[in-house]
Amino acid sequence: MANTVNQANTRTASARATAKKRRNQLPFAILLLIGIIIFGFVLNGIGVKLPIYWIFGISFGIVLQKSRFCFTASLRDPVLTGSTSLTKAVLIAFAIASVGFAAIQYSAVQAGNPVPGFVSPAGWHTAIGALLFGIGMVIAGGCASGTLMRVGEGFMMQWLSLIFFVVGSLWGAHDFSWWKATFMTNAPAVHFPSLIGWPAAIFGQLILLGALYLIADWYGNRRSSQNS
Amino acid sequence: MKLTETNFYQKIVRDPWPYVTGAVLLAILNIALFTATGNPWGVTTPFSYWGAWIWKAIGGHPESWGYFAEGTAHGKALMQQTFLTNGGSIMNLGIVIGALFATLAASQFKIKKIKNIRQVIAAVLGGLAMGYGARIAFGCNVGAFFSGVASFSLHGWIYTIFIFVGAWIGSKLLVKYLM
Amino acid sequence: MADYRLDCMGEACPVPLLKTQKKLSGLNIGDVLIVEIDHSCAMKNVPEWARKEGHNVDIEETGDGEWEIYIEKTK
Repeated sequence: MANTVNQANTRTASARATAKKRRNQLPFAILLLIGIIIFGFVLNGIGVKLPIYWIFGISFGIVLQKSRFCFTASLRDPVLTGSTSLTKAVLIAFAIASVGFAAIQYSAVQAGNPVPGFVSPAGWHTAIGALLFGIGMVIAGGCASGTLMRVGEGFMMQWLSLIFFVVGSLWGAHDFSWWKATFMTNAPAVHFPSLIGWPAAIFGQLILLGALYLIADWYGNRRSSQNS
Repeated sequence: MKLTETNFYQKIVRDPWPYVTGAVLLAILNIALFTATGNPWGVTTPFSYWGAWIWKAIGGHPESWGYFAEGTAHGKALMQQTFLTNGGSIMNLGIVIGALFATLAASQFKIKKIKNIRQVIAAVLGGLAMGYGARIAFGCNVGAFFSGVASFSLHGWIYTIFIFVGAWIGSKLLVKYLM
Repeated sequence: MADYRLDCMGEACPVPLLKTQKKLSGLNIGDVLIVEIDHSCAMKNVPEWARKEGHNVDIEETGDGEWEIYIEKTK
């Protein structure tokens, strides 16, 4: 075998040669962009709030795809491959979102409104549901946002997964009353700032996320030095 | 110079962005969505509507289930809305189309066929487990994990602990049976 | 020193990375592993892992949404 430097050079040259032969899909992207804009106007005729959801959906899709952001990998890779780079990215996203959400919730409460956001009963149903979801996302190769993104990327496995995701959701909705009667009714919906005050809740959460970040960073470095 | 050869095209459209860039943008989008619509980002609730709309269309009666009780948001979505008038459904469609757009713009779109029976089993069982799990846990990695934790809710943190355990069990199953 | 190919076309995460890790651990120093993938996430996490491990890595886009990742085992 020739040495790597030469190999790399030949490869780059051949890569350029093959790259020329590749189809340019940019025209399709431009056609799709026109379609996206037209559909936005169609939605505007159906309901004034719908174009907002449309624009947010498109933005989420682009960001998820371009950054290859994957909640599944952030939870799976530390145990499976030893990588924590997505775990750290998720913790950063949580910290930023927490600050923004705190501002939104605080101003709503100050105005005398109920606490906005997703605060749901916490109990055994949360634990069992999360366990099921965790197993499912790893074997199916993507969670909800990841599956939708990969549907758009042309993964037929995720098309199938999405169909059964919908079937599973319907099944869960069918059984929901049982779970509600058995576990949810007595489970508390705890909003930390309402319980321990805003400063303690916000700083407590940021410190916890920061600590998890340091652990993830240490673990990621430790795993890679061990392997080598 | 052609557009596809410019630095902007290579860096922004063609190459993947760093994970941290994605993290910052997703957090900003989630905050902006919360501000604009009154609710943070969630993905899986519309899936239960899609299932119920189809189930109803083929003769089922999901409206008799407690989940879709009259007067609740779910009941309203089932009886009064369609795919095209439900904001969450439109947002999910947007994620698919947005990802398709980003892939095409980078000239990286390819239909990836199902390779073997293991992928079929994984997709079917994984899809079912995620669908059922998300209903009883009040959300997925977006609704319960990302938005739940950022909403300072206890259920978000309980979800965080058990999604991690679930991912660990799933990894063991994947390595043992599906690879 | 030899070249080995690993076909991960059509495989979803984390299968390409796990197969790469397994295959590479059985190779000798100086061997080159060429991983063929068509999963957009694997074209990011496979090279990232290999670089972190200290191997020489090169990515070549061979078609629409298809990549070959060259990993030269260095240790």
